[in-house]
Amino acid sequence: MRTESINRKLHKKFGDKVIAEKRDDCIYLSGSLDSWDDVVEAGMTAATKNSRCHVVNDIVFTGAEPEPMHMPGIRDEALEGESPDVLIIGGGISGCSVARELSRYKLDILLLEKEADLALGASGRNDGEVHPGVDLSRGSLKHKYIRRANHMYEGVCRELEVPFKRTGQYACFTNKAMLPFVWLYAMKRRYIDGIEDTRIEMGNKIREKEPGISPDVAFAISNPSSGCVSPYNLVIAYAENAVHNGARVSLNTAVTGMELDGGRIKAVHTNRGTLHPRMVINCAGVYADKIAEMAGDRFFTIHPRRGTNSILDKKTGARFASIASVTGIKSPGHTHTKGGGILHTAHDNLLVGPDAVETWERENTATSRESIERVFAKQRHTMPTLSEKDIITYFTGVRAPTYEEDFIIEPGRKTENIFHVAGIQSPGLTTAPAVAEDVARAVADTLGADKNGGFDPVRHAPPHLAAMSDAERAELIRKNPDYGVIVCRCEEVSRGEILDALRSPVCVPTLDGVKKRVRPGMGRCQGGFCSPLVTQIIAEYLGVPLTEVRKSSAESAIVFDSRKGGR
Amino acid sequence: MEEYDVIVIGGGPAGLAAAISAKENGAQVLIIEREERAGGMLKQCIHDGFGLQRFGERLAGPEYVERFIDRAAELGIDVMCSTFVTRAEKSDKGFAVTVVNRDGLKTLAAKSLVLATGCRERSAKQVFIHGTRPAGVFTAGTAQHYTNRLGVMPTKKCVILGSGDIGLIMARRLTLEGAEVLGVYEINPTPSGLTRNIHQCLTDYDIPLHLSHTVTRVFGKDRLEAVEVCAVDESLKPIPETAERIECDALIVSVGLIPENELAESMGVELDSHTKGPVCDGQLMTSVPGIFSCGNALHVNDLVDYVSASGEEAGKNAALYAVRERRSVDIHIGDEFMYLVPQRLDLNADNSRLSFYFRSSSVLGKSVLRLKVDGAEVWKRGYPFLRPPEMQQLVLDMTKFGITDASDVRFEIEVAE
Amino acid sequence: MKEFSCISCPRGCLLHVEEENGGFTVTGNSCPRGREFAISEMTAPKRTICSVVKTVFADAPVLPVRVSADIPKEMIFDVMGEINSVTLTERIGRGDIVIENVLGLGVDVISTSDLLKQNIYALTEG
Repeated sequence: MRTESINRKLHKKFGDKVIAEKRDDCIYLSGSLDSWDDVVEAGMTAATKNSRCHVVNDIVFTGAEPEPMHMPGIRDEALEGESPDVLIIGGGISGCSVARELSRYKLDILLLEKEADLALGASGRNDGEVHPGVDLSRGSLKHKYIRRANHMYEGVCRELEVPFKRTGQYACFTNKAMLPFVWLYAMKRRYIDGIEDTRIEMGNKIREKEPGISPDVAFAISNPSSGCVSPYNLVIAYAENAVHNGARVSLNTAVTGMELDGGRIKAVHTNRGTLHPRMVINCAGVYADKIAEMAGDRFFTIHPRRGTNSILDKKTGARFASIASVTGIKSPGHTHTKGGGILHTAHDNLLVGPDAVETWERENTATSRESIERVFAKQRHTMPTLSEKDIITYFTGVRAPTYEEDFIIEPGRKTENIFHVAGIQSPGLTTAPAVAEDVARAVADTLGADKNGGFDPVRHAPPHLAAMSDAERAELIRKNPDYGVIVCRCEEVSRGEILDALRSPVCVPTLDGVKKRVRPGMGRCQGGFCSPLVTQIIAEYLGVPLTEVRKSSAESAIVFDSRKGGR
Repeated sequence: MEEYDVIVIGGGPAGLAAAISAKENGAQVLIIEREERAGGMLKQCIHDGFGLQRFGERLAGPEYVERFIDRAAELGIDVMCSTFVTRAEKSDKGFAVTVVNRDGLKTLAAKSLVLATGCRERSAKQVFIHGTRPAGVFTAGTAQHYTNRLGVMPTKKCVILGSGDIGLIMARRLTLEGAEVLGVYEINPTPSGLTRNIHQCLTDYDIPLHLSHTVTRVFGKDRLEAVEVCAVDESLKPIPETAERIECDALIVSVGLIPENELAESMGVELDSHTKGPVCDGQLMTSVPGIFSCGNALHVNDLVDYVSASGEEAGKNAALYAVRERRSVDIHIGDEFMYLVPQRLDLNADNSRLSFYFRSSSVLGKSVLRLKVDGAEVWKRGYPFLRPPEMQQLVLDMTKFGITDASDVRFEIEVAE
Repeated sequence: MKEFSCISCPRGCLLHVEEENGGFTVTGNSCPRGREFAISEMTAPKRTICSVVKTVFADAPVLPVRVSADIPKEMIFDVMGEINSVTLTERIGRGDIVIENVLGLGVDVISTSDLLKQNIYALTEG
């Protein structure tokens, strides 16, 4: 799109308040607006979908004071003077999968994550769907990777011992008259875009397999290659395997600035010291544009988009085995609300969501009643028996799209020793295994690295005893009686499994860390019964009093000293 | 395979009473308890007031339940602690119960089962409190576990949501231990806990009770920093204009108990949507012959004395259980009831001294409870008032009302004023 | 006239107390204990308290206790101070005295559990 035409459109919408300018193969927007929706609208107006000429949205938003980035409380010199070959910024799915693929090479790899655990951003706060790509056309990076990555899931999840199920997906339609048009669309996807498993299924046939689907559903686009993975378990597994192969992970570590010299990053400042990496990989999610800016290589803008998911009691898991959503129903009042659906998760719960709401807050994961009501109202068209009474918990994630809505997977444009893995949003979880392979190869080539002959692709997850046969379970308990002591009654998690989580390669000895790894507190009582017990096990393991155990970050104390015993 | 006449699942007050009474009625009994000690929730209910009806004393929770533990030991009842029932199934001998513990996996046989699995608390998420996910959101029972069993404080300054008894008791406990309880917020226009607990737990310590108010949001990224409270309208919807932010370090929720019946459900036991417990006959046998239910798994009781009583009833009947035909007649209830237990009569059983437990669905003034058979009143009793928090018990001889298989049996409450 | 709930039993009767000529007229009670409670509440209110005391034992860091009889309401926090100052080093049983004649009130603080006596399996490793 030519600059004049962009400015004409912007002028029509926002008068003189916003102006576009093209330089360095980017579209820079400047001006000021008091509505965030307008800021986003301006960005979208200027952007061309999937283009590599990105919008850099510098419009000042005057409607609210932006929150500063959440910083870890810790300040030390633990990393001072380090000079890893590769410094990966961000412990989400991109950073961890890239770390693992890079550990196939003889490289000193260090991954930084500013939060107290991995996968605390969008990577751990999504629905876990392994997408088929049925909404993707040729020409985008999303499309380039989707089929290759989708096919990799059995293999990756077997190697990394991560729960994954190929459940299949139905994009449902209620209006039978639309069948010819939808059929054409589906056939285009199948034969032109190469989404080879796409087909049409009629309502009655779907209801034979999924009796819970609404009788109003006339037909659906079906993609049997869809699946569900446990997203945070996949991220953790990737990181653990990377560590197993020599990479290092530093949690509670935030990048605060960089020093540049002659088009290269010379130093990276963090709250734990200054590092001098040969190469930086930007996997910083919602902060990817900020990291690019620090590196003197800003050519895109992330506009955060919030989504909320609800998790239902496991009892509902028996009612529905796949992924489905009625499409074509407009949610009033929310122009950017997309998709969402009902999913049978890798842990056999049902998940409902997500919605999509544009936001200026990159880290605000607070949930709201409205989001959940909206999603349920919509999804009751898919499954009429869906009830908010079955909700056991809910969570919000913030996606990190660019205005072009495609991934950015490329070396720095101005800065030599950076590689961007940015704009990663749905289906970024799905594409990660393939993207990571390519990024690792490109970076290893640049650094001239040799293969790591000792690379071991297998990661061992803590055993999940409740899912085992009686004989297997008895055998493990014979070897380690702690596997016979059930601590979490809802998810049937034993003391032995909790201790395994504490002894895992990326040890996060907090209530949330243990919960994500082996699930105590994930069930219907939400930790009401087991959290004091898990707190005790963590305290014993660390050799500290209960008051030193944390829920997540260093500041998230669970209990305080009493006045007992003369204290 | 180890064989028992009766396996009792759960070693709290209901399970202990059931096992004792089964043993006293001649059965070989086993209690399976998932915690390391029997006693159930009473281990952490260290406040007094238990056993007034049964023992004529005001005992602390541990004192009350340990009397039953002592009696079970005296009778030589087997108790498997730190043992978790991973599944239970019907078998040709009756039931096969598979347990897991430090010794491994084992399947045990029983002719009948007593489910004394208690209840769990509704969580903050289940009452739709939104916002961030900081440390410092506890159910009252979790806070009680930390305070009374582990000797640490879950808060220095907190807000309590819900005026259920555990919430009120915790308001007093935390105050005694030096914490500041800023207020108890109750979404309903009337308290959920017993009147005497309002007086001795809140009034005594100048803790304000805010009726028709609820907590809508929590704030704080790491540890809880504040909560938002709102008044609610008649339909219990928060009124946004009334929102008020209260600085504190914890939110303690006491918003209801849910009987735990996942194991019962897995065996096909029919549940009552009002009690969330099994539908039982007068002998506390569920819809599955040979499976009995008692205590808070059957319905949420207000007093442990009733929990023990229902345990004894279930235990005795489990011990005497022999496969036989049941002639079931449903007992219907009017809209003024929250629930009534038992929900069925077995006309082939001895119904000469049946205990009924019920709660009204709202606060009612002077009322008359009537039993009608085929539309004709056969029995009645007056009440000065009926309040949902206070459960009512009555014992009736159901044999004298001429009830047959075809009868319409109905309890009704008529409000006099 | 004063109005308050009776705490003698779960029934929670609403008591009305009228003071006249140095005596009290109690109404609203359903039993004699209600009358007793009402008069005590008007003259010298008393309460029981329950708490826990610290122990030196890892398997049971605290032991539940209560006062053996009601204490004056205004002494509650003083007695709590005494309870808080105790650290138990002996495995005492239910009903055993933790603090004798606490603050000279003629009331003992007693253990309400055999927790320390029972040979229990504690959640410790090994």
